[in-house]
Amino acid sequence: MTAAGEERSQAAASGLLGLVMIVLGVVVLVDAARLRGSDDPVGPAAAPTVIGVLLGLLGGALVLSSRTLPRTSGKGLWRLTAMVVTLIAFALLLPLLGYVVSSAGLFTAAALLLGAPHPGRVVAYGWTLAAVVFLVLDRLIGLSLPAGPWGF
Amino acid sequence: MGDLLTGFADALTPGNLLWALVGVTIGTAVGVLPGIGPALTVALLLPVTFRLEPAAALIMFAGIYYGGMYGGSTTSILLNTPGESSSVATAVEGNKMARAGRAAAALATAAIGSFVAGTIGTILLSVAAPAVADVAVGFGPPEYVALMAVAFVTVSALLGPSLLKGAAGLVIGAAIGLAGIDTLTGQPRLAFGIPSLLDGIDVVIVVVALFALGETFWHLVSGTGASRVEPVRGAAVLSRDDFRRSWPAWLRGTALGFPIGSLPAGGAEVPTFLSYSLEKRLSKHRAEFGHGAIEGVAGPEAANNAAAAGVLVPLLTIGLPTSATAAVILTAFQSYGLQPGPQLFTESGDLVWALIASLYIGNVLLLVLNLPLVRAWARLLTIPAYGIYAGVLVFACLGAFATGGTIADLLVLTVLGLLGLLMRQAGVPVAPAIVGLILAPLAEQQLRRALALSDGDWSTLISSPLTIFLWVVVALALALPPVLAARRRRSNTDRRQPDASN
Repeated sequence: MTAAGEERSQAAASGLLGLVMIVLGVVVLVDAARLRGSDDPVGPAAAPTVIGVLLGLLGGALVLSSRTLPRTSGKGLWRLTAMVVTLIAFALLLPLLGYVVSSAGLFTAAALLLGAPHPGRVVAYGWTLAAVVFLVLDRLIGLSLPAGPWGF
Repeated sequence: MGDLLTGFADALTPGNLLWALVGVTIGTAVGVLPGIGPALTVALLLPVTFRLEPAAALIMFAGIYYGGMYGGSTTSILLNTPGESSSVATAVEGNKMARAGRAAAALATAAIGSFVAGTIGTILLSVAAPAVADVAVGFGPPEYVALMAVAFVTVSALLGPSLLKGAAGLVIGAAIGLAGIDTLTGQPRLAFGIPSLLDGIDVVIVVVALFALGETFWHLVSGTGASRVEPVRGAAVLSRDDFRRSWPAWLRGTALGFPIGSLPAGGAEVPTFLSYSLEKRLSKHRAEFGHGAIEGVAGPEAANNAAAAGVLVPLLTIGLPTSATAAVILTAFQSYGLQPGPQLFTESGDLVWALIASLYIGNVLLLVLNLPLVRAWARLLTIPAYGIYAGVLVFACLGAFATGGTIADLLVLTVLGLLGLLMRQAGVPVAPAIVGLILAPLAEQQLRRALALSDGDWSTLISSPLTIFLWVVVALALALPPVLAARRRRSNTDRRQPDASN
């Protein structure tokens, strides 16, 4: 990417981040408004109110400073979506399939999305990594990781 | 000194030495991976230490910490991808040296410089920390509020490309820090009825999400370009001439790094840049700067390590983390049952001195292990990017799950990872977010405590000379950078030509 192109995409990203901050600011303010007050001079809603307002102001400043609407490249966005879906699937399948199988799957999916050339080899790497992590952390150190129906 | 010796006696058992060795090894192995700085290294490997007894956990942690820092400078030199802003200055000359075929000398001066700075820094820490703790015992909530205000302002001004982006990072972190139960009234804030949000979002999860997932997502979106790893030729030793040029730079770097690092203000990487320009000004080989001058590696690297020791002074004595790494260290200490603050040295003195001794042992082990092994570490850099980031993702999920223990934590991790991607693309620094995440809830707590003690009288915040001084510092830190920038712009246009040598 050229320097000018990078600067433009950075400006677009700050605009988008600014919008996210404004939305987050509103969420924080709405959540703060719901809190019951207390007798203290500074109640539980004070800090969220300040932070919510600051989120809105700084987010607005980022939007104004960028002044371009974000354009997204289709392929990168598709890979990102696939990765997020993989992560959610990992979270949901972890208790069902156990640590080793889910992590090997996570590694394989991530590596393939990142452009790994040999699917067979990636599965082998992922399986090895997950098995080693499980043996060291679960069996050796005693950090209990979820075990699937087959015990690992 | 007697306390420190007892600390060494606690830390120097064969079992603990083994843990230190393991810590240094895995810390370096993870820290050397591109895009992974010390803060992320420590956060990723923290779960490994959870099940150990406190002394063993501390010493392993110290090994991971130093290993991560050393691994980071190796990557900066060989690959020119500094994982954290504090190794940017090292990368400037270090990578030029590596391209000129002098990678071995650059790595050696970085390692020995880190060792020298770490040694002096640890000694200064063991002298300064108890002294500062004695002063800090007298601090009340107003002093804490003012100190945190200084940290907020300096962290946003110094840890990013601009005050706006630094402040944006800080406030995003502070907003994440709101989640959880309000300590005074017991009401949940930003929890949305999700049980694992009631305890707040763990720092480890935020660090791993913003740094590791942000980085991985960024590679997914932009596609990973091939990067050039400079080969390491010859053994990592310094020639007589290299040594003669390096040692004054190590000492000057240390002299800049420790005092600036130990200020209760953000910006542990400031001394690395100061050291770089100082070495450039003092060097007899000024022409070499920009083409691989060894002083330009030796000074900033020493400054970086001395500052890392200095950052522990406000962290241990006041409980004030001023860098992303320090924020993770604070969490680590709390998980080992240490509560940083003025009482730390009196209440759990044994563990603190064992920690300081551990830091020293980690430093020695690093030098002994890594200089001979430097080529093995460099080989790790040849792992293809897809392997590195897929592996990082597996460890990130492991870390999040081990810390939180629920599926919801993994979903929080994913959402924050997307936020990290956006911050990275927008050039908003992540480090202030981590500091804000830790400091904002503490500042809120201290402010409410201060006002409760004064029955709602806000003038309590400027009731002592120290607080007035600190608020003046806050005002100056906010006002000075724009004024200086404006003056610099004016003087540049006056002269009609920008100063080319700077």
